[in-house]
Amino acid sequence: MQNRDTFSSYHPAINFLYFALVLVFTMFFMHPASLVISLVSSLTYAIYLNGRKAIRSSLLYLLPMMLMAALINPAFNHEGMTVLTYLPSGNPLTAESILYGAAAAMMLSAVITWFSCYTAVMTSDKFVYLFGRIIPALSLVLSMTLRFIPKFKAQLHVVSEAQRSVGRDVSNGSVLQRLRNAVTILSILVTWALENAIETADSMKSRGYGLPGRTAFSIYRFDDRDKAALVWLGFCGLYIFAGWMAGGLYWRYYPSVRGAVAAPLTISFQLVYFALCLTPVWVDLLADRKWKKLREGNV
Amino acid sequence: MWWKKNKWKIMIPVLIVAVLAAAFWYGGSAPGLQGWTAEAGPAAQAETPVTNPSPAGDALAPASGSTENPPAAQAEGMESSVPASVSGESGGDVSGQNGTAELPEPEYGRVLETPAGQSPEAGIDSRPGGTEGGMTAQEKVDAAAEIAGGSSAGVTAGGTEYSESQGMVIDPAAGKDQYLTDPVPEGRPLPVEPQDAEISDTACTCTLSISCAAILDHMDWLDPEKVELVPEDGWILKPTEVTFYEGESVFNVLQRTCKQQSIHMEFENTPMYNSAYIEGIHNLYEFDCGERSGWMYQVNGWFPNYGCSRYQLQDGDVVEWVYTCDMGVDVGGFYSTGN
Repeated sequence: MQNRDTFSSYHPAINFLYFALVLVFTMFFMHPASLVISLVSSLTYAIYLNGRKAIRSSLLYLLPMMLMAALINPAFNHEGMTVLTYLPSGNPLTAESILYGAAAAMMLSAVITWFSCYTAVMTSDKFVYLFGRIIPALSLVLSMTLRFIPKFKAQLHVVSEAQRSVGRDVSNGSVLQRLRNAVTILSILVTWALENAIETADSMKSRGYGLPGRTAFSIYRFDDRDKAALVWLGFCGLYIFAGWMAGGLYWRYYPSVRGAVAAPLTISFQLVYFALCLTPVWVDLLADRKWKKLREGNV
Repeated sequence: MWWKKNKWKIMIPVLIVAVLAAAFWYGGSAPGLQGWTAEAGPAAQAETPVTNPSPAGDALAPASGSTENPPAAQAEGMESSVPASVSGESGGDVSGQNGTAELPEPEYGRVLETPAGQSPEAGIDSRPGGTEGGMTAQEKVDAAAEIAGGSSAGVTAGGTEYSESQGMVIDPAAGKDQYLTDPVPEGRPLPVEPQDAEISDTACTCTLSISCAAILDHMDWLDPEKVELVPEDGWILKPTEVTFYEGESVFNVLQRTCKQQSIHMEFENTPMYNSAYIEGIHNLYEFDCGERSGWMYQVNGWFPNYGCSRYQLQDGDVVEWVYTCDMGVDVGGFYSTGN
């Protein structure tokens, strides 16, 4: 399996731990600084991983979604001390609900972007390697489900190309004919998906998947580099968790916006969080520079 | 050997049961939380050094100093406007009980020293249903009925004949009108649907007040983020003369006054009851002070059994919006139609 970047070449446990930490922290911290940190670093990593595709998808899908989430909250939530004006329904429009909507939108898009990075780094073989022993059935189902959409999309392409060659594509005929063709294609796809699932399950069973004493080949080694990464992630996780428990990342939106005071200690929590979020980017850039130097040295 | 082979077959069910048990416990279904009695809150407070002889925790104790405070005096004044048939039925203790419900003056002194003794954050878990909420609607009603010991003071059962003679259409099978309203007690005004109300140009005045004094008794139940919102004396809007136009409802007056006075207010229209429901005033929302808390209104000392959009005001009415922490029991408005 070819790795997408240097961070992907780390042990799967490190990859998983990183994403678990970052996702949990993103979902729990409503502090605006934490949200900005999370969104910016997730976008940076996604762009590093996926290049132009990440920029396109974030502009095309994330931005409208963010705007919608930010607008929907003040339309339905009227809590808050600062009444700006009154909506046509008669309920107040408050500054707090707008701010909360913006924060929720940021959190939502950050989580989605983190998941796009997750799917690029945590491939299903890594996931099954990590959890295949502990929860064999669940990890197989999970990896199959996660792979389902891309596989379905690819198969849709194959089926519709094949149908086009016999003149039964959605691009031919009257509206009714096209609709009928589309339904046929969908029916073929569903049949294929059901059969494919059974085949996968059968082939996994015939290979003895999940049986006790079964070994699996894997090339992952937990070496010194992974140990150093584990220590770093553990330190960041504990430090930020301690800061959270102590209220250093406290922020509330209702009834009035208020948060932890900007003291050196609270800023240090945010800085550590920023460092944690940017760990893979930082690892990748260092490795890229090293490679570049080595290549230049050879020339 | 057997253990090694079947380790996970035993470990996983045990783990699942443990997680479910923890969730069950934490979710508010623990026996200790389910079995709490409503007296536990106020009674526990009463055990803390209380120098004031007035037992505020017992809602049914007749108030000694009901004449000393303006709201109670108002309520008593109002009693006189109620037809004799209503007050006559409940006897002489009507005014006394209403006086207690109005939170007489001596209570304020006691109340203000209670929060100092215990930090509000300490007791939030002690409120009914905990912080997450675990009571069903019926459990809440039953618990409130238990504390109230039946219906509130000064109300009589809904008069079906009276309501029908006044033009209320009551479905004989359900015993309620089309908006699920029970018959209105005798002598009380019937609901007027907001879509039918004719608003004229005649200006009238009424007295409007908004109070959350009941929270002062249950500061430990209040959401810690909202403690700063509660005024020291409980008044969000002291009794104020406001002008309205003939035909307007309590809701119209509340909405306009809140806009004028820059008081935050959120409502929701509930088509089922054909009325607006007041979710929060001054950022104090329903359920902010325990599971049985929310806003109630009374007009001339009576808590109507229908929504505020359907109560058409008369000149000189006294409208009081009160925050309850106990389904109305602590403000004297549990069953508005008796039982």
